[in-house]
Amino acid sequence: MEILRCEGVRKVYGDRSNPVVALDGIDLTVFKGDFVAILGASGSGKSTLLHILGSVDRPTAGKVYVDGTDLSTLNQTQAAIFRRRKVGLVYQFYNLIPTLTVRKNILLPLALDKKKPNRTFFDQVVGALGIADKLDALPSQLSGGQQQRVAIARSLIYRPALLLADEPTGNLDQRNSKEVVDMLKLSNRNLEQTILLITHDEKVAAEAERIVVLEDGRIVSDERRR
Amino acid sequence: MWRDYTSSSLKHNRSAGLSITIAALIAALLLSLLCGLLYNLWKYEVERITLEEGNWHSRITGELSEAELETIRNYANVREVAVHAPEDKGTGPAVDIVFHRKSAVFSDMLRIAEQLGICQERVQYHYALLALYLIRDASDPAPRLLFPVFLLITIVASFSLILIIHNAFAVSMQARVHQFGILSSVGATPRQIRAGLLQEAAVLSAGPVLIGNLLGIAGSAGITILSNTALGNAETGRHVAVFGYHPAVLLLTVLVTAFTIWISAWLPARKLSRLTPLQAIQNTGELQLSRKKNPRLLSLLFGVEGELAGNALKAQKKSLRTASLSLLLSFLAFSLMQCVFTLSQISTRETYFARYQDVWDIQTTLRGVAIEEFHVAEAIRALDGVESAIAYQRGMARCLIPEEALSDEMLALGGFHGASAEEAIPADDGWLVHAPIVVLDDASFSAYCRQIGVEPRLDGAVVLNQIRDITNPDFRHPVFLPYLKGSSGVSVLQQSGGASERAEIPVLAYTREVPSLREEYAKEDYYELVHFVPASLWSTIKGRLGGALEDCAICIRGREGVSLEELNAIQNAVAGLLQGRYTAELENRIQEQQTNDTQIQGMKTVFGGFCVLLALIGIGNVFSNTLGFVRQRRREFARYLSVGLTPGELQKMFCTEAIALAGKPILISLLIIVPLVGVMIQSSYMDVGTFLREAPLCPIGLFLLAIVGSVALAYRLAWGQVSKISLAEVLRDDSML
Repeated sequence: MEILRCEGVRKVYGDRSNPVVALDGIDLTVFKGDFVAILGASGSGKSTLLHILGSVDRPTAGKVYVDGTDLSTLNQTQAAIFRRRKVGLVYQFYNLIPTLTVRKNILLPLALDKKKPNRTFFDQVVGALGIADKLDALPSQLSGGQQQRVAIARSLIYRPALLLADEPTGNLDQRNSKEVVDMLKLSNRNLEQTILLITHDEKVAAEAERIVVLEDGRIVSDERRR
Repeated sequence: MWRDYTSSSLKHNRSAGLSITIAALIAALLLSLLCGLLYNLWKYEVERITLEEGNWHSRITGELSEAELETIRNYANVREVAVHAPEDKGTGPAVDIVFHRKSAVFSDMLRIAEQLGICQERVQYHYALLALYLIRDASDPAPRLLFPVFLLITIVASFSLILIIHNAFAVSMQARVHQFGILSSVGATPRQIRAGLLQEAAVLSAGPVLIGNLLGIAGSAGITILSNTALGNAETGRHVAVFGYHPAVLLLTVLVTAFTIWISAWLPARKLSRLTPLQAIQNTGELQLSRKKNPRLLSLLFGVEGELAGNALKAQKKSLRTASLSLLLSFLAFSLMQCVFTLSQISTRETYFARYQDVWDIQTTLRGVAIEEFHVAEAIRALDGVESAIAYQRGMARCLIPEEALSDEMLALGGFHGASAEEAIPADDGWLVHAPIVVLDDASFSAYCRQIGVEPRLDGAVVLNQIRDITNPDFRHPVFLPYLKGSSGVSVLQQSGGASERAEIPVLAYTREVPSLREEYAKEDYYELVHFVPASLWSTIKGRLGGALEDCAICIRGREGVSLEELNAIQNAVAGLLQGRYTAELENRIQEQQTNDTQIQGMKTVFGGFCVLLALIGIGNVFSNTLGFVRQRRREFARYLSVGLTPGELQKMFCTEAIALAGKPILISLLIIVPLVGVMIQSSYMDVGTFLREAPLCPIGLFLLAIVGSVALAYRLAWGQVSKISLAEVLRDDSML
């Protein structure tokens, strides 16, 4: 089942006299349960692509469909609700709300929709991510690795169609990096979660089933590994 | 380099610069206003003491020869020597000396006295005047704290302002910690960073300090004029304050302001300059909580947005402390002041102006005049517009009350059981109580007799036969009971001082009706027995009762519903009749009421002004925070958006923050004010309905609206900037991390 489809996505920054092309004709399709890594050097356009897929930014041209929704038709409020329900975003710097406890951070997307969490699923997620004993702590009281696990838990809690992870190991040491990637693989396998991981680290990318290589805003390679 | 960096950062941080400018302006305005007012208060005290007690530093009493006077005049530090006849009869003349250097007055006078061979007992010092120049002598026992208190107020005000405005600098500086980290990492020393920040603060504050000082001077001039209006002008015998300003005061104010602002900027600058480059670069400037909080009320009322707003406010607690405290204090003080003044106005009106409305219109006091020496009562009664004029004089005697003369009601109250030893002295044949004697001119006494239905006679007294029910503490609605049975035809009076000579006077009547006089009876001593006697009878018994009487008074009433103009005309006519014959003081009821209202209005304006200033500090702080935090909280807002908070929900969170910020001080104030005013109403035995009908809801409501409106405006302006945040840009901007 198709979860994501990009058709000729192009993104240009700057004005007409000095345009900077970040993405140039991206065509990409991702299916349910895929674990895709977007690999690219700094400035290749991978973060821009993630922002567009997460409805944080809009393409200059082209279409993006996530779970059947055309992102170009969404206004600001619809885009926010789309992010809340359909996309889970994991950033390099965790982006946790520093004034909320771990539990509340994880449940925030549900709370915004005034929805009660599924207790079993919540326990399953925090248990799998190893943060069950940290639920009442504030983010500032956790290590980087623990904060990133909380960010993953938050992105999973709504069972989104697509989990977008932007350099999730970029701020972590080797041991924590491995743990985080293992967590992503675990959620991909156990929860059938579709994951699109953006990284510049080939080792991290090698953990994915499919590697898409981006260079100067274009896809130069798309390889399914297993 | 720093100049370029400073000018560039000023250009790109206009909102933070604005909050510093506002803070500096408020600090300069308040300090200049305070210094201007204190200087004028001090100046007024010097003028008042000089006018009332004379302009001298030291005085030598007794006779001095011309040669001795010449010796004093030739003394280097002596500026003026004036010989004058003293006010007290029986002593010799006195010599007043004014010195150039006041600080040397005590040592110089010792030498002068020694040189002239005068004993120190003949030397006096004007301690009250000298103390205003901070010149004190150990032999002066009086505390004379005016000047030290002024200095203390200025110091306290400076420190309070430092607490208040340093936050504006802190917010602005905190927003750029990351930049300081970069500067530090490329080799800028903490001293250079601190100097750069202080340089920036100086540039931002120079203009506001100048403007604030000028506004403060204008404000102190305005308050001086207002205080003259409120406290009375020359016609009431008060020395009128004339606004003045000394260049030294301006210099002092500028120095104090500069010091206050410098300390306010230096505190956060020192803290930031001490951060290591790594700490500074890693600093996200985000709001953090040290312990988890759960704002239950806001969560309950506004859902998850309420919880986020509550936590954000908790995280900003330190920087918003000044705003919260200022808003709380200003609203509390303003509301309380309005309620207290309203209570006082109702009370004064009910217990004074309303109670005496039908009793007096013009009250005249004749200094040092006995009622027998007053012969123009008839002429006053004959004046156009005068309804009645009663000349009277009060004195004090003791009255003997036999046990059997007490009424049943008085006995039921326990007789004199509750009276103090001074109020009722046990005697062999009864009790001796105070007996105020009110001596009325004969014509007025006869009229009073007719009023109470008694055949007028000039050889007896009318006794006010009532006692307040001491079991009922409600002073606003007192209950009176009959004091005596009223069967005795005579009253036995004796001298108040305790002499044994007595005077037995016939009692024409026992009554509970009093003549129309502006007098209160048995107010402090419930057991006193008031006697109204005619002047003719008084002239025959005063030798035996002896007690000196107070000044003679004339209570004049105009026609029903008399106007101020008519009263003024009567007052002028009465003054004309008394002029040259008696030393008289005249009071006019309507004028007095208007003066009272003006004074209350004036005091309300002055106190209200201070409350407004306090609120301005709070509101200024809210503005400095909201305009300053937009940059600081950009990442926080971006994070909310990235998790899926819609712009509408973010706006709701913003509104909740504003509501909580403005609502908390209002709610706390109301929780304090309502029970407090309730207690005040209860303890003053006022009818709640009466207070509610006149409750100052309008000014309090307007003040409340001004606070809420200002906070709402601050958040609206901040929202204008927050709503422009591009989520993609913030997430891309690594410098925000």
